[in-house]
Amino acid sequence: MSTSVRRTEPPLTVRTPTHEPRNRRRRSSPGRAPATKLFLILPSVVILILTNAYPIAYAAFQALHNGSLISPGEFVGVDNFAKVLADPAFWRAAGFTAVFAVAGVFGSWIIGIAIALLLRTRIPAKGLLKTILLLPWVVPIVVSAMSWNWLIGTSSSPVPTIFHALGFGDAIFLSDPLGAQITVCLFEIWVNFPFMMLMMSAALSSVDESIYEAAKIDGASARQQFRYMTLPIIAKPTYISWVLMAIFCVNDFPTVYLLTHGGPVGATNTLVVLAYKTVFQNFQTGPGVAIAFLMTLALAIVAVLLFRQIRKSTSQ
Amino acid sequence: MKNILPPTAMSRRGFLALTGAVTLTASVSACAVGGGNASASGGSTVKFWDMPWGDKNYTDAAQSLAQAYKPGDGMPGVSYQQVNWDGFNQTFSSAIASNTGPAVSTGGGFQAFQFAKQGAIAYADNLIDSFKKDGTYDDFLPHTLDAMKTSDGYVGIPWNLDVQVFWYRKSILDQIGATPPQSWDDVLDVAKKASAKGYVGFGISGGSGNYGPMAVLSLMINNGGGLFNSNGDLDVVNDRNAEAVDFLTELVKQGAVDPGSVSMKDDDLTTLWTNKKVALGFQSPAFNNVVGDEKDVLVTDPLKSRRGEVGGLYYVNNIMMYKNTPSQAGSEAFTSYYIKNMKTLWQKGVMQGLPALKSITELPEFKANAQNTAVVEKWQPICKTTAAQSSALTAKLATIDGGQAMTDFCQTVLAGKTPSKTILTKLESDIKAAIS
Repeated sequence: MSTSVRRTEPPLTVRTPTHEPRNRRRRSSPGRAPATKLFLILPSVVILILTNAYPIAYAAFQALHNGSLISPGEFVGVDNFAKVLADPAFWRAAGFTAVFAVAGVFGSWIIGIAIALLLRTRIPAKGLLKTILLLPWVVPIVVSAMSWNWLIGTSSSPVPTIFHALGFGDAIFLSDPLGAQITVCLFEIWVNFPFMMLMMSAALSSVDESIYEAAKIDGASARQQFRYMTLPIIAKPTYISWVLMAIFCVNDFPTVYLLTHGGPVGATNTLVVLAYKTVFQNFQTGPGVAIAFLMTLALAIVAVLLFRQIRKSTSQ
Repeated sequence: MKNILPPTAMSRRGFLALTGAVTLTASVSACAVGGGNASASGGSTVKFWDMPWGDKNYTDAAQSLAQAYKPGDGMPGVSYQQVNWDGFNQTFSSAIASNTGPAVSTGGGFQAFQFAKQGAIAYADNLIDSFKKDGTYDDFLPHTLDAMKTSDGYVGIPWNLDVQVFWYRKSILDQIGATPPQSWDDVLDVAKKASAKGYVGFGISGGSGNYGPMAVLSLMINNGGGLFNSNGDLDVVNDRNAEAVDFLTELVKQGAVDPGSVSMKDDDLTTLWTNKKVALGFQSPAFNNVVGDEKDVLVTDPLKSRRGEVGGLYYVNNIMMYKNTPSQAGSEAFTSYYIKNMKTLWQKGVMQGLPALKSITELPEFKANAQNTAVVEKWQPICKTTAAQSSALTAKLATIDGGQAMTDFCQTVLAGKTPSKTILTKLESDIKAAIS
């Protein structure tokens, strides 16, 4: 049965649009001098250097020195990196960052695609529903965090009160390390699933309904349609959304900081929160910036792997 | 395709030339930012940054006081800006690093020491000399000016004292038939009784903010302990500190502490006090004003620890001057004005801390809140700083106070599951790592 389903794939791999602009580009600037091209990109390069390269270079300088934000201090080589890598707090934060990112990416994706599929069906008040579902993403994170804090923060908050009334004892989620980690991950999923919903809705809207009709005629079940048709067809936008969401999650400072400040006892420290605390609470600029660099490196590796996956899915 | 541009529209070469010129101008401008002290400090204005030190009316009162400053001939005027406590280290550090910081500011208790070490502070020795001449020097409460003195000079001028005093809600104690606690044993007894009636027996917030760690440190100092020995060396793992941690653990295990205290934020604890849910706890002076209950929220006498000792924690909050100023003389003139006229803040009743000037403690408006007098007379004289049992304040205290080591320490204590010596060993190790 799966063979008959796969037969429907070729007409869907529409690659013509990618060929056309390439040809047009070649035609429009056949003999443009390299100097002109260089001159054309110069403004962007200068702006990029000023806004990105300089801060990165200065941060690299700080990572190799033992100074503060105000004074550069002495050159210490890679001591700051060695110090950070030898610190158990760094590895705890790295571990939780991985958990947080995986939960954030896949949790929000599963909910996002489920709702996107639901919104393709005929349901009443679809527009209103879409608007309501977008709210967690649209509302400023400070407001969302305050609302969650109000709901679960203290023993007299509504959710712990209800849990207590139902006989579950003192359910102070943010006071327990595991409870706080779960809460922070759930909050991340809650904040980000609308983004995934939008991405997946857009991806699904490009899928021709007729292939599902053909699959039904061939006897494909709903699960098989989803597994062998929908997922492969939306693979590229899915991978792109994963890359974006992974970057959002790893770099997400406010979600964790506003909800738990990285506590209790550092249980919800992510690398970005740890870097912030190292620089601005312990005043150790070098090690703090070193954490940020290591985090960027890890993120770059993840992005490269996912982009490779995207290329693979495109070439299939 | 039809050309929609008018005949006079810019040519491609013209556009490129203009883009290049704009980019070059932007680059030059960007490089120039922060290049001059005068422009960075707000031109001919002394920038004064202030923290929220009191109730909701504090900012207006402080701003009015700053704006009432009339500079002398040739002296710069003053601009006022409030900075929130949340992330204040980041705010100050970033601004000072980019030469956009203040010329004069209030701030964290050890902020002046921290920035002095980094070379950003203008020492206040000239101002102190002028205070000696006009008699203001003698008006400062004992030890407060000494606390600002380093081998290089005075890093700041004391202006208010944050004393961690023990408060109780009288109506709750009346209801449970208890009297104000005078010792740790009394605290345990009253807190247990209050908790049995559904109140928070001992209010403490370990989540965000600094009140939780301050409360634990207060108990350690109360028992003759602290973070340092009299020589100024780190000395955390000792019996006195362990007894203080054990006492708190006992409160947790007896259910006298809210189970959510580990993650409770300072604001949430204040709300619980305001809602009449908390029986006992450490807080700053004039806390009864903050919760709007002057008659029911009262100060106890200093508590006797299990060793029968008294003691507490206090902060000498100060006004500091920075090298990045349009005029050092202007910074000094404004700071002098502010210190000599700050009594209006207490007269208006908007301040939470104690004044650093004796003359203000004698004002009828200050004495109107009877708890203020109790704090000045009973608590301030027996209090020590975060440097206890040493008296030397240094830049490393800025890292410890409000730092991650103390927050983790407080949260571990409030979880009530780890032996005291283990917690203290971890604290000592974390502090060493932070200040190394």
